[in-house]
Amino acid sequence: MSHTSGTVTAGHDGDFNPRQAADLLDQATVQARRTFTPFTPALLAFRAVLVLVVFGGCWLSVRGQRPYHGPTGASGGIVLLITVVLVTINIGCTAALIGRAGTGVSGPAQRKWRVWLGVMLVAWIAAYAALAPGFHAEITHPVWGLYPASGPLLIIGLVGVVTAAALRDWRIAGFCLAFAAVAAAAGFGGPADEWLIMAIGLCAVMLGAAGLTAWAQRRGVVRP
Amino acid sequence: MTTEELDPLIHAPTRLKIVATLAALPDGDALSFTRLQDMLELTPGNLIIQLRKLEEAGYLSSKKTRTGPTQKTTVTLTPQGRTALAAYTKALRNLLSGLNLDGEAEPDTDYVAS
Repeated sequence: MSHTSGTVTAGHDGDFNPRQAADLLDQATVQARRTFTPFTPALLAFRAVLVLVVFGGCWLSVRGQRPYHGPTGASGGIVLLITVVLVTINIGCTAALIGRAGTGVSGPAQRKWRVWLGVMLVAWIAAYAALAPGFHAEITHPVWGLYPASGPLLIIGLVGVVTAAALRDWRIAGFCLAFAAVAAAAGFGGPADEWLIMAIGLCAVMLGAAGLTAWAQRRGVVRP
Repeated sequence: MTTEELDPLIHAPTRLKIVATLAALPDGDALSFTRLQDMLELTPGNLIIQLRKLEEAGYLSSKKTRTGPTQKTTVTLTPQGRTALAAYTKALRNLLSGLNLDGEAEPDTDYVAS
């Protein structure tokens, strides 16, 4: 048994002392947690950047509009292009990480997790599909102006809270509640400034989730 | 306290890694043999031997399912296995609290597993 570069390797059972056992147990546990976690700290940190760039970009493009007509024009087009690129990367990374974490794993918790993913997928599609009739009817501020920035995410957040609570996953329920709370609070900012509130609020929620996930993963079982 | 109080079935590097890996899954969830083998970088023969010892002690259960021509084996840590790991972890903590954790002295040879 030897210690190299902070890793522990298993040797013969005969020279396996308690200190080495503690190192190995902590190392194996941390490694397994990282492998089985689909929403990694890096993914959550990327999402923090994504919401900051997308919502912050929208806010920059609508700042000072009188009357408010939303993120349109050249700057709105750039924001839309960046959004499409970042969201596509996010979807690709998320799908890859979910696939990696769930490979070879089966059981009741996995079935719950798949139910949650299915419900959330429907919620995301439905919440943003609700934008289409509004665009078609050309509804304008103040009725329409508030919805695109925070409306879909409020709905998605609340669906996430209810679903996670029903599945008794309190960590995800808490995360979705924070998500919904930011979206609800953003509504008070008005059509232009709610983009900024969403950018800062969701970025903080994502970074908080990334920090908590990293802490939970790194916590040793023998030496917390 | 001595290492004699550490569960000898868990107090072996390979079996400790197996139990720790399975314990990271939610209660009742199973892991396929091939995934476990990949994660621990073990040969199939070595893994089978260690899994058999743990299964005989009631610490894990295995299930074989057949889908078409392929057979899949999954392993789950039983409640008894989780309890044993919790007791092992507690015993390990107690042992370490009696040792010099600054690394100035090597652990007493009495603590070395035989």
